[in-house]
Amino acid sequence: MDRMVRVTVNDRTVEVPGGTSVMDAIFHAGYDVPLFCAEKHLSPIGACRMCLVKTGSPRKGPDGQFILENGQPKIFWMPKLSAACITAVSDGMVIDTLSDEVKHAQSGMVELTLFNHPLDCPTCDKGGACELQDRSYEYGLVEKFYQPDPMELPLYTRFEMTRRHVDKHHTLSPFIVLDRERCIHCKRCVRYFEEIPGDEVLDFIERGVHTFINSEDDGLPSNFTGNIVDICPVGALLDQTARFRARNWEYDSTETTSMDDACGAAITVDARSGLLERIRAAERREVNEVWISDAARFGHQWVNENRVCTPLVRRDGKLVEATWDEALKAIRQGLDGVAPADVGVYLAGNSTLEEGLAALELTAALGTAHRDFQGRTAYPTTGFAPASFEELLDAEFVLVLGEPTEEAPTLHLRLSEYIRGLKPAAKLNHGTPFADLNIKERMPRLNHKLALFSAYPTPTARWAGASAVHAPGAEAALLAALLGEAEAPAGLGEPLAWVKARLAASQRVVLVLGAGVLNQPEAAIKARQLAERSGARVMCMTPAANARGLEALGLFPGKGGAGWTEAGPRAVYYAYLPTEAQLKAAAFRILHLTHRHPLAEKYADVVLPNQTAYEKRGHTLNLEGRVLPLEPAGINNGEADGAVAALGLLAEALGVKTPVRLVRQATRLLVEKHKLPAALERWLPKSTGWTATEADATTGTLYLRPTMWRREQRVGAVARVVEIKLEMSPATARSQGLADGYLVELALPEGVERLEVKTVAGLPDGVMYVPALGAWAGRRVEAKILVGGEA
Amino acid sequence: MGFFDDKQDWLRGVFAQYPDTPQGRRAALMPMLRRVQQDEGWISPERQEEIAQILGTTATEVAGVMSFYSYYQALPTGKYHLQVCATLSCAIGGADELWDELVQELGILRGDVTPDGLFSIQKVECLGSCHTAPVVQVNDEPYVECVTKARLHALLQGLREGKRLEEIVLPGKVGHEVHVRGEEVGV
Ligand code: SF4
Ligand code: FES
Ligand code: FES
Repeated sequence: MDRMVRVTVNDRTVEVPGGTSVMDAIFHAGYDVPLFCAEKHLSPIGACRMCLVKTGSPRKGPDGQFILENGQPKIFWMPKLSAACITAVSDGMVIDTLSDEVKHAQSGMVELTLFNHPLDCPTCDKGGACELQDRSYEYGLVEKFYQPDPMELPLYTRFEMTRRHVDKHHTLSPFIVLDRERCIHCKRCVRYFEEIPGDEVLDFIERGVHTFINSEDDGLPSNFTGNIVDICPVGALLDQTARFRARNWEYDSTETTSMDDACGAAITVDARSGLLERIRAAERREVNEVWISDAARFGHQWVNENRVCTPLVRRDGKLVEATWDEALKAIRQGLDGVAPADVGVYLAGNSTLEEGLAALELTAALGTAHRDFQGRTAYPTTGFAPASFEELLDAEFVLVLGEPTEEAPTLHLRLSEYIRGLKPAAKLNHGTPFADLNIKERMPRLNHKLALFSAYPTPTARWAGASAVHAPGAEAALLAALLGEAEAPAGLGEPLAWVKARLAASQRVVLVLGAGVLNQPEAAIKARQLAERSGARVMCMTPAANARGLEALGLFPGKGGAGWTEAGPRAVYYAYLPTEAQLKAAAFRILHLTHRHPLAEKYADVVLPNQTAYEKRGHTLNLEGRVLPLEPAGINNGEADGAVAALGLLAEALGVKTPVRLVRQATRLLVEKHKLPAALERWLPKSTGWTATEADATTGTLYLRPTMWRREQRVGAVARVVEIKLEMSPATARSQGLADGYLVELALPEGVERLEVKTVAGLPDGVMYVPALGAWAGRRVEAKILVGGEA
Repeated sequence: MGFFDDKQDWLRGVFAQYPDTPQGRRAALMPMLRRVQQDEGWISPERQEEIAQILGTTATEVAGVMSFYSYYQALPTGKYHLQVCATLSCAIGGADELWDELVQELGILRGDVTPDGLFSIQKVECLGSCHTAPVVQVNDEPYVECVTKARLHALLQGLREGKRLEEIVLPGKVGHEVHVRGEEVGV
């Protein structure tokens, strides 16, 4: 850490690390300073001039001694006010934020900033949560300067002019709308795109008073566009999925954990009148800092529609609404005569640890080996020693096998910090610095610290010193070459030689593995050997959000049990929608669902109403092994309840006793018996003893490539952004008799889908790609094209 | 065909002037824009995209830099592109009235070119000659300073007659006619 320096803010003297900005020293001392352009984790640039303060420092004379005045070091004040966000503190500095000179300057800046602002707060979604409103209220219009006479009304501005009028409803993408009149040119959004995701899709156009924000790229191509809505200090950038839904103070806000991927980003869920209306990023320094992916933010419109709100039982061949008691009766009847060992329990991949424990206790009591969770990879993630994000930033070399922007979006953003050589942000009295002077615009990317190989082109590759797109399934051969067991696959000789040398030369290595590797035991075992040999820690980008936690508890099939991709037991409980073949194979099916679905109408004997991840209480484990809390948001879901309650019902129907009937009981048991630590700590239980149970899960020529979007999220605005196409190289298309725009019917694990063919130059030949949109990510299946033809 | 396809040697020369890093490569943006502007009179979206491709950046980034400088044109221009400074000093000095006069006289707005292909007009930010406001600049030529309506008409007239800029005499107070360059006639 830097040397500590003493600074005096008004009347308080504090110590801060050298290199801290004056702005953060002021906050650290407990005083306030207004700001618009500074923002956590972004470079301070001094654009808005709102944070003007007066600073002075002692000076040394030619004799090397402080120049004194009345026995004290004399303070030499800067001749003009300085912007606190871009000025570094120095030892002995004195900062004044309260004098008339400072207040006058700050209120003048508010006046100037409001000069061209439309002041349409009553119709602005940001109203009530707007930094410009707050700062104008606190720092604008100091009566002393703006009220010529106590008997007169204050002057609101000294200027009289027509305000600038520009585009007020400019749609940047289906998710984001821009109001150019409201923009105050703080440049936060522009800096954000360059610095955080590294997608330079937004920039200032023109100059001076004509400056506006624009993008030449259609629809902001980036997986991380939504964060600009959070950081825009005014209502210029707004969330289209939550437009005009409520005033900010009407929302019922809940901070919880995003179960959209295995990173466990913190989110704030805003509900109103029982409907989920908006999701924003929440701060979790250890994990997502203040950023989230677009899937975590905008993929919520499905939650409110078409919900299952009461249990449904089958009567006369039809599903009809019922009470939980009637459901219990129906289950009891249906399970009559079924051996306990012939009951299968299958949880969703985003289940909580509490639900996992309930499933485990129940299946143990039943003596059944049929248990699993959806999206479990063929090789256990618990087989790898996990790295934390802090360790990632500290690494000397990172090798990625996969696509972080799709598989674990938060990880891409942390890699962005890593590749710029940044360390975890300092923690001051007020938390993360608002103006961290270590962060600069356009920092050089330290490409020698990263290598990336993936089965599909990925934006993260642009930071890698060596990278390549390989055919899906080539991971094992690639890792074998790195282990020195085999020759490098064709075309990869040079990059792999570079990686080998970098691995040998680096002390702290982190390995990032995608679903493509984890679903291929042969490759995963090699990855483990490589990790052991290079002392690397590993981050597993699992398709299931809580894969590490559920695996650590032991929720995988016992000996002879059927896994989540197989059919097997006679009676089944699924907390998600399984494949049609699996439903067909079972004799009695309980589906625990959040939404109605034709397959459920066709096959389910009993449907229980489930909670979405936004409605659950409990805990999850992210890919670092960090315990993260889930809090239920105020969403109206009727009589829905989680798997703990549903499995309790099942236990009752089967006449077995389990120690877990309530979520709180489960939490207590986790803490007492399984030594689950407090939230934000890491839980790294010893290996569960499970090694690969599945044969190679990935053969076939159709690769289900990972995507950050899940199938159920494809409604509303998301449906306009996420297109599902069957992609392949032009040569592959020719050999298959296909061409761009052809329509084909394709048999996928989750059913038959009608897709358009799209050729993409540069994709490996001989394979086809289709977005997996969920649990099947990283697997390969046989490409079964049923019918095809020109559109 | 790309604009730079047959200018690879030139490109190499430009890149050689900057460090061999991603940042260094981006520094070539300005010379590349200038080259296109000089050769083609404007920088079309296709050219912007081409430059972005070569530099490994986005078209947005190119547009951002380009639009900051009034020298670069995103729309086709006439033979004489008249740029009227509209920032503070010139605004106070009557730039708006000059602009209206131009619009009236030429019958075009920003983005148009007169049917004879001679003129196009644009308001620009401070040209850095505030003490001689209002200022008009024709193409890349030296400024026309202290522009009045009478001087503007003389300027247009001169250009229409095909005179070179330095040949055009602008009216001033009687006995103070000046060349565009600013020297008094006869001095
Ligand atoms: S749109 Fe918002 S974030 Fe972007 S520059 Fe304008 S005010 Fe700042
Ligand atoms: S100048 Fe904008 S916050 Fe300091
Ligand atoms: S304002 Fe016109 S030249 Fe400066």
